Amino acid sequence: MKKIIGILFLFLISISNAKTIRVGSSFPVKKVKQALQLAVDGDTIIVNGGVYKEGNILINKKIIFLGKNFPILDGQRKFEVISVNADNVVIKGFKIINSGYASLDDPCGIKVYDKSFVKIENNILDNNFFGIYLQNSRNCLIKNNKITAYGKQEQLIGNGIHCWKSDNLQIIANKISGHRDGIYFEFVTQSIIWRNISNKNIRYGLHFMFSNDDSYITNVFKNNGAGVAVMFTKNVKMYNNYFEENWGDSAYGLLLKEIADSYIFNNKFARNTSGIYMEGTSRIKVEKNVFESNGWGMKIQASCMENEIVNNNYLKNTFDISTNGSLVLNTFNSNYWDKYEGYDLDKNGVGDVPYHPLSLFAVLTEKTPSAMLLYRSFMITLLDKSEKVLPSITPDNFIDKTPLMKSLPL
Amino acid sequence: MKYFFVILITFFVISCNSNQPKPIKLNSENCEFCKMTIANGKFGAELITTKGRYYKFDDVACMLQYAKSNQVMVKMFFVNDYLKENELIPVEKSFFLKGGTISSPMRGNIATFSTSKEQKEFQAKLNAEAMTWEQVYNSY
Repeated sequence: MKKIIGILFLFLISISNAKTIRVGSSFPVKKVKQALQLAVDGDTIIVNGGVYKEGNILINKKIIFLGKNFPILDGQRKFEVISVNADNVVIKGFKIINSGYASLDDPCGIKVYDKSFVKIENNILDNNFFGIYLQNSRNCLIKNNKITAYGKQEQLIGNGIHCWKSDNLQIIANKISGHRDGIYFEFVTQSIIWRNISNKNIRYGLHFMFSNDDSYITNVFKNNGAGVAVMFTKNVKMYNNYFEENWGDSAYGLLLKEIADSYIFNNKFARNTSGIYMEGTSRIKVEKNVFESNGWGMKIQASCMENEIVNNNYLKNTFDISTNGSLVLNTFNSNYWDKYEGYDLDKNGVGDVPYHPLSLFAVLTEKTPSAMLLYRSFMITLLDKSEKVLPSITPDNFIDKTPLMKSLPL
Repeated sequence: MKYFFVILITFFVISCNSNQPKPIKLNSENCEFCKMTIANGKFGAELITTKGRYYKFDDVACMLQYAKSNQVMVKMFFVNDYLKENELIPVEKSFFLKGGTISSPMRGNIATFSTSKEQKEFQAKLNAEAMTWEQVYNSY
């Protein structure tokens, strides 16, 4: 028994042996790099406020790296600021600025190389080429960071949070602006993106490529160059997000290309050129979303099939739906359309005549965009009305059989 | 007066029949094949059809898949020089590297160089495989 207690005691001593190294002008250790040399696995380094221009800071020990009063780590436009090359590293409370720029090896504010259980929390990243870059990493957490860059059109700039070939990541409550893509996922699986705000990025607020089994929940994507893109992916869940004010010729609230088996639930698409653009998507359920004040609510290309569009509100859109083919392989059921002019004699809340969401003019402008000039002219309104009664150009089976009389409380 | 018209007409015909690529506007133009906004001026590509239409792409892979899947008659192909910022060069005069650590927007992973010296220099650096245009074209 005594022996066991003795062993336990020794074990505890060895744990509590971890030391704290303080860095700052009033401490014996003045430089971050010096502290990193002194540290061993399990140590804590606390860096006090100040400016540290030490080039590339390589963390290759399992340490906790804390900033007090946001010490500034300056990459002077030449270096990658922090490189993480150890598991279980925590980076918290730093201001990381001016990483190297536009060179072929993609310099970053913070880059993690093939590691697990790294936590990056409460940092401010300003004016870096790439913000946070996870390469081949697992079980990492990126939380509460503010990532800002000042990218312009016609200029090369990296992504805010860039994840490549990773697994089990948590990206929570970050604010990202001014990068190429706010959050970029490529070959990332089983990950979650939650409560982030991504706005004013040059290209996409969020960009998925070849990343299966992920979710993004309660994020705001506003005023990005081209909205959000989810491409070549399957099994993605998109809940409670806001897609707002993505204006432009090639801008979409949400661009879906070659994606399957996904679920789009309770999102809001407001004031976009196109709310959702779908191409080559299949078996997606779009449920309880609001499409408000968009140019086009949804653009569904003929290459989409077996998608189910149920219980959505379409309000104040110029066109609710548009498509480029005559084949209808998707189903529309029980949506609320503010342009519906039918009646409900049995008062069960469901319109008695089916609704044709596809207007004649939406089809015409899809074929010849310049026909837009004639929009809201008398003849077009007349043709549109007659098309509703006797469909000739628009496919006659493109209908919602049970349109709702009242908008859903979403 | 007759001569003037002849000159004018030849001028029009020539000006319609340009073999020069149009510059890609980064971050505002879309890839014709994958619909993504073109953002990287090292991997962009462009083709001109026999009718004189221009199509722009964010990756050589997109351009070749588009050229082979659609009924476009291609007159010329152009690709971005890897070492310059958004400069298009004709494929016949280019040298290619594929794979290694090259990472292009749509995973075509093909970098283009204007001289074989540059190609050789970067082949070791990027750990990539040297290719000719025919090999690139036939790989899709």
